Amino acid sequence: MTGLVGRGVARVDGRAKVTGAARYAADHEIPGMLHGHLVLSTVARGEITELDTSAALALPGVVAVLTHRDLPPLRVPSFPYLKGFVPMQDTRVHHSGQPVAHVVAETPEQAREAANLVRVRYRAERPTAHLAHALDEAFLPPLFRDEPNEFVRGDAGAALEAAAVRVEQDYSSPMMHHNPIEPHSSTAVWDGNSLTLYESAQGIVFTRRVVSIAFDLPEANIRIISPYLGGGFGAKGPTWSHTLLNAAVAREVGRPVRVTLTRAQMYTMNGHRAEYRRNLRLGATREGRLTAIVDTSTAQLTRTDHGVYNTSESTLRLYDCPNVHVRQLGVRLDLPSSSYMRSPETTAHFGLETALDELAHELGVDPVELRIRNHASADPHSGEPYSSKHLLDCYRIAARAFGWARRDPRPGSMRDGNVRVGWGMATETHTFSAIQSNVELTVDVDGRATLRAATQEIGTGTYTVITQVAADELGMPLEHVTTLLGDTAYPDAALSAASATVASVIGPVSQAAQDARKAVIALAVADPRSPLHGVPAEDVVAERGYLFARGDRGRRDSYRGALARHGRPVIVTGSRLNSSGHSYGAVFVEVRFDPRLATLRVSRVVTAYDPGRVLNHRTAHGQVIGGVTWGIGFALMEHTMVDPHTARVVNPNLSTYLVPVSADTPSVESFFVDRPDKGSTALGARGFGETPGTGVPAAIGNAIFHATGRRLRDVPFTRDKLL
Amino acid sequence: MRNFGYTVARTPADAVRTAAGIANSTFVAGGTDLLNLMRDGAETHDHLVDLNRLDLDDVTLDGQTLRIGALARMRGVAEHPRVRREFPVLSEALLASASPQVRNMASIGGNLSQRTRCGYFRDPGSACNKRDPGSGCPAVTGRNRGHAILGGGDHCIATHPSDLAVALTALDATVRLLGPDGARSVPIADFYLLPGTTPDRETAARPGELITRVDVPRTRVAADSRYLKLRDRATFEFAVVSVAAALRTRGRVVRDVRLAFGGIGTRPWRDTRVEAALLGRPLTEAAIGEAGRVLVRDADPRTENGFKVELVQRALASVLNELGGKR
Repeated sequence: MTGLVGRGVARVDGRAKVTGAARYAADHEIPGMLHGHLVLSTVARGEITELDTSAALALPGVVAVLTHRDLPPLRVPSFPYLKGFVPMQDTRVHHSGQPVAHVVAETPEQAREAANLVRVRYRAERPTAHLAHALDEAFLPPLFRDEPNEFVRGDAGAALEAAAVRVEQDYSSPMMHHNPIEPHSSTAVWDGNSLTLYESAQGIVFTRRVVSIAFDLPEANIRIISPYLGGGFGAKGPTWSHTLLNAAVAREVGRPVRVTLTRAQMYTMNGHRAEYRRNLRLGATREGRLTAIVDTSTAQLTRTDHGVYNTSESTLRLYDCPNVHVRQLGVRLDLPSSSYMRSPETTAHFGLETALDELAHELGVDPVELRIRNHASADPHSGEPYSSKHLLDCYRIAARAFGWARRDPRPGSMRDGNVRVGWGMATETHTFSAIQSNVELTVDVDGRATLRAATQEIGTGTYTVITQVAADELGMPLEHVTTLLGDTAYPDAALSAASATVASVIGPVSQAAQDARKAVIALAVADPRSPLHGVPAEDVVAERGYLFARGDRGRRDSYRGALARHGRPVIVTGSRLNSSGHSYGAVFVEVRFDPRLATLRVSRVVTAYDPGRVLNHRTAHGQVIGGVTWGIGFALMEHTMVDPHTARVVNPNLSTYLVPVSADTPSVESFFVDRPDKGSTALGARGFGETPGTGVPAAIGNAIFHATGRRLRDVPFTRDKLL
Repeated sequence: MRNFGYTVARTPADAVRTAAGIANSTFVAGGTDLLNLMRDGAETHDHLVDLNRLDLDDVTLDGQTLRIGALARMRGVAEHPRVRREFPVLSEALLASASPQVRNMASIGGNLSQRTRCGYFRDPGSACNKRDPGSGCPAVTGRNRGHAILGGGDHCIATHPSDLAVALTALDATVRLLGPDGARSVPIADFYLLPGTTPDRETAARPGELITRVDVPRTRVAADSRYLKLRDRATFEFAVVSVAAALRTRGRVVRDVRLAFGGIGTRPWRDTRVEAALLGRPLTEAAIGEAGRVLVRDADPRTENGFKVELVQRALASVLNELGGKR
């Protein structure tokens, strides 16, 4: 152990990325490869009555135009394939922007132009596009991934009735899209009955499973390669239909085929955050102790699946409330399937943290104090104790750094000239998963180590943190360790979603590195040619690639020396289970509001987190910057507009779907409690990535209330709502 | 995006001649809008005539006229010292547009020729009278938060996206055109057309005519001008509402005022009745309020854009108070 863990070392893949050496999914050149382009439906509901491909086929370079008439049947895979149907299997149209034809040509330009020439006629039916048009059809969806959509603790109805103080409000958020900067790309290469996919995927092991089911192929025949990802945010977690259709098409035409979605296609092909409405009823004592929460949400579903992806986890588990009733209802609309989007829990949590602020105001209790009074020291739903939880420290640290004690609680009371200043806060929380993961570590004859795992780098710093932990345990310099990810030829490892990567992979990495160090030390002390010959193995320490006898640093060997003499690599594997859990934090926000033009700016953000042990302070702070920026987008601008009559997305591009730019985002302060969670096998680190941002929309809304006295409950908080 | 032919023009006359000789051709300069329109299929052209080699990028102030070559880049005009000093509204409008990268590429002629950001227009899968005459206007009853409250009708309510055009409209600029039949000048107030029943016709430029220059009269009031742009994020975004204003007062009395508005009209919006409501009167809250009411008297808001009625009046008040010395 050389103190590498925790240090904010720079990204080990940074150079490859900025020089263009890093190969993303669409960068792999395959000899003989053709280019595909999807034709998407222009109606949202109905039947294809006519499909004329002749003009497209006549275009130079076009090899094939495949439709439902040509494709072999594909089996509908289960989770994490979310659509509930595979397109281009029949004439039915379930949403606007659904694939109806797949054009294959020698160049991407030819394929795209040919796609424009495919003529499709529909018998269109009237679609339903918005929750508001079908709220009376809301129903409680059946189990999804073995989880129910209704949770009951105590008797919330009776407790609410009896409560001294009640808050009841509706909160809502529109459809939103992930918009990773790298579009989805899939390249299918068949070799007989074996398939290799170059894929933009957040979970290559999951993608392999989905493809295996769809094509009825053994998993051993499928290889998924995804060494770099230009962002995913959940959009590349599930496997989507373009991957299956493109592989089917490649098989039909007998050549490798690549399909890369356009930005506009990414608004119907790869999931979104569903439109939501939430009715929240809080009951509390005069002292501000929560006695009841009734949380009834309604999410957009489709007619082909019923997944609810933005669960009310924080309603159920964040605060110590004895009576809780959560119902996650859904309404079937003629839209594409929704999915997970960073951070899914934000959707519900925005309502809860806003309602708490309303309760604090109603009671005249400080919002931080209200949360402290309702702090849960054991899991309120299961009753189990936490292995570690320092949320109270987060409130204290962030509040002090922010200067919260100077806050005048009266709305509109803090001013800077004409500008109203508002201070708001919220708790941040996210549930992380832990997924069975395996790694293989090779110390080669040159004394350098290579670590392989079929997890992937989604831009968060996975290469870096894995390399850091392995180098630290091995006692090697960082540059002596190479981490290889994103290939199912490596041992199965975690999906990079649900903040699971660190929690799942770091245990196996650290175990493999320890085992490799011990194996090499054992080789050295048993080797008469080693200066360490005869030293008890437990008295040998490894540092910077050298092996020393403890207390006698003159007796020195090295990985390089020991392996050279050994003459063949040392190969070990690592596998260690971890458990899922929660990471916590607190966010404090200052907004500045000019009432004359209803101009709002987020001017200051201070955060503090308890993610267990911090493995790399730089990448952890990076997650905070990213999460806060996402939170600002959620609160102030993100909004996928769907036409009410055609159920078609009206703003499918980055020019009209707004996300924050740097000028919208102040610098963000982050503090970390940084105490290892003894319950985590990942060196005491918990899953953290999606925690920052979960409280930001509510904190901004709460700050707006403090600045203006106006309570906003429907995001985005655009200027028209502030006039 | 289909294949297209490509010719580099050497002189303006050469450009016009080449375009006139090739069916379904158009001009390209920076390409920052045109290429997106072609990629999205919102416009299709068989041939592009590249203007970037033309000697039309001078910005000169001779006598009483600022002459801006159509090939001058947004950045160059925005940073021109005399433009900044004597026509600040032009510089501010340009700097509030797009991003530094786009401003480095985009030409003045192209900026004035850019197409609306209406999502229905940009999506060939949607109906749109501007793109596909007679197919209908889904914005009228659909998603219209960004659309016009003035100058529209049931055929089209799309706004013109150019900030510069709004500023030029306030300053009574003239657009110089060169076509197969020779050169002519069109006052900018006549250059942009109301949609009426033919929203596909956006400007008075005839087929094959090229914008070669924009002339802006040098006036005392132009030096006391500014551009206020309100938008949904801090930068790299089109206006929800914008105001180009120039104002001269003596004492508190308005001696000269020019006003044009973006984001609210189907073309850069100028209504001289608004200026008349202020001219010769003291710049009081009452006068400003009256001018604002005159501006929105004929407003026809739709389901989502009603807030612009209030917002544009506040924006007008804000910019007049600032120019009038009262913050």
